[in-house]
Amino acid sequence: MKREYTEASDATLVVSIGRYQQAALAEAYRRHAGASFGLAKRLLNDHARAEEVVQEVFVRLWNEPNRYDPDRGTLRSFLLAHTHGRSVDMIRSDVSRRTREEREAREQADGGYDVAHEVWDLALAGHVREAMETLQQGERDAIELAYFGGLTYKEVAERLGEPEGTVKSRIRSGLKRLRGELVHAGVTVGAD
Amino acid sequence: MGDQTGASGDAYELDELLGAYALDAVDIDERHRVDDYLAVNPRASAEVQAHREVATMLAFTGMDAPDDLWGRISDEIGEQAPPPGPELAKVMSFDDHPRRRAISRIAPWAVSVAAAAVVAFVAVGLADRADAPNEPLANAVEVAQADRDSLTTTLVAEGSDASAEAIIDQDGHGYVLARDLPTLPEGQTYQLWGVVEGGDVISLGIFGPNPEIETFTMEGQVDALAITIEQHPGVISNGNPDGAFVGTF
Repeated sequence: MKREYTEASDATLVVSIGRYQQAALAEAYRRHAGASFGLAKRLLNDHARAEEVVQEVFVRLWNEPNRYDPDRGTLRSFLLAHTHGRSVDMIRSDVSRRTREEREAREQADGGYDVAHEVWDLALAGHVREAMETLQQGERDAIELAYFGGLTYKEVAERLGEPEGTVKSRIRSGLKRLRGELVHAGVTVGAD
Repeated sequence: MGDQTGASGDAYELDELLGAYALDAVDIDERHRVDDYLAVNPRASAEVQAHREVATMLAFTGMDAPDDLWGRISDEIGEQAPPPGPELAKVMSFDDHPRRRAISRIAPWAVSVAAAAVVAFVAVGLADRADAPNEPLANAVEVAQADRDSLTTTLVAEGSDASAEAIIDQDGHGYVLARDLPTLPEGQTYQLWGVVEGGDVISLGIFGPNPEIETFTMEGQVDALAITIEQHPGVISNGNPDGAFVGTF
C-alpha cells in the first residue's frame, strides 16, 4: 500500500518521516533537494561537496525529524538553513577555504555574485530581483557576501572596507527590507 | 540617545547581530551568545526565523538535485536499523499460554468478530519514534480522515455513551481519537487490540488511563479493533472483555 504524499503538508511529511516512512522523505527530497543542492553548490563551488552536504541534510532529517518545528517556519527554510550552515562550516575549514578562494578568483572574473541572474527565469525571480533592487548597495553587497560568500560579517567588513558595526546593521536592515518588499509584492515568506 | 549600557546595551548589541546570525555570518563565540539570547527571547527567535525565510527566497535557484543522489541517501538510511519503539504488550502463542483455557473465555468481543480468536505471536508495536513531534499529529489525522481509501470505525461499548474513532490509512498508520473515553482510576490503562486476518488477536498498544489522539501501525488486513481496560501496564494476551469498546471494519 503506497501512500501518496504529494499533497501532504510539511508537518504531515515530517510526522511520517518520524515513522520511518521513506516515501515521505522521498517527497521532502523531491520538493526541496534542488534548492538545497543549488545553495550548497553556490556556496562551495564544488559539485561533489554540494552532494555531500545535501546527503547530510536529508539523512539528518531522517534521523532527527523532531528538530523541525512547523510552527517556527517552513521545512524548506529549515533544510536550507542546515544546508547553509553545513556548507559554511566546510568553507571555513582551511583546506576548503584555500580551494574555494582559488575557484572564487576564477569566478570573480566571470562576474562574481549576482543573485538576480541566478533566479532570473523563475517565477519568483521577478519579485526577488525587484526586492533586491530596493536595497541600498551596501546592504545588497553585505547580504550577498555573507550568505553566498560564506563570510562572517567581520570578513565582509574587511572585504568592503567598512566598519564591522555598519556591515552588521546593513545585513539586518537589508533582510528586513527584503522581507517587507516580498510581502508587499504578495510573496508568502514562510511562517509569520 | 537612550542608555545602551549593561543589560540593555547587550540586548541592543545582540539584536544587531540577528541578521548576521541568521546567515551564519557570525563568529563561533558570537553564535553561542546569540544562541543563549534566543533561548530566552521569543521575539529575537522569531526575527531570526523571519530572516531565514527571506534567505530561503534568495537561495531558490530552481536547480535540480543530481539524479543519483537520492539513491545514495536511500542506501544510507536503509542501512540504519530503526531504534526500537516503545515496549508494548506482546501477544503470546495461544498454545504456549499457561492460562489458555481462561483466555478463550475472556475474549468474547474478539470471538464476536472473528470465527476463531487464535492468538498469534505477533509483535506489532507503535512505530512512532519516542521523540516524534506531536504538534502536527492533528494534521496527519486530518489527512488520513480525508483519504477515501482509509478505513474508519467507531468503537463503542455496551452500556456506555462514550466512543472512540479509529482511522487506518493506506500505509497502515492508525489513529485512535480517544478523548471521549472516561479517565480511568489510577493503576488502570486502556489497551488496543486488533483482530487480523485469520481471526488472530494482536496487541496494538497501551494508551494509558487518559488517552487523547493515539497512534499505532498495522500490517495487512484488520477486521476489528477493540479497546479494553486493563491493569497497568497492560496484559500480554487477551484482554478484559468487561466494558471493551469494539469497532468493526
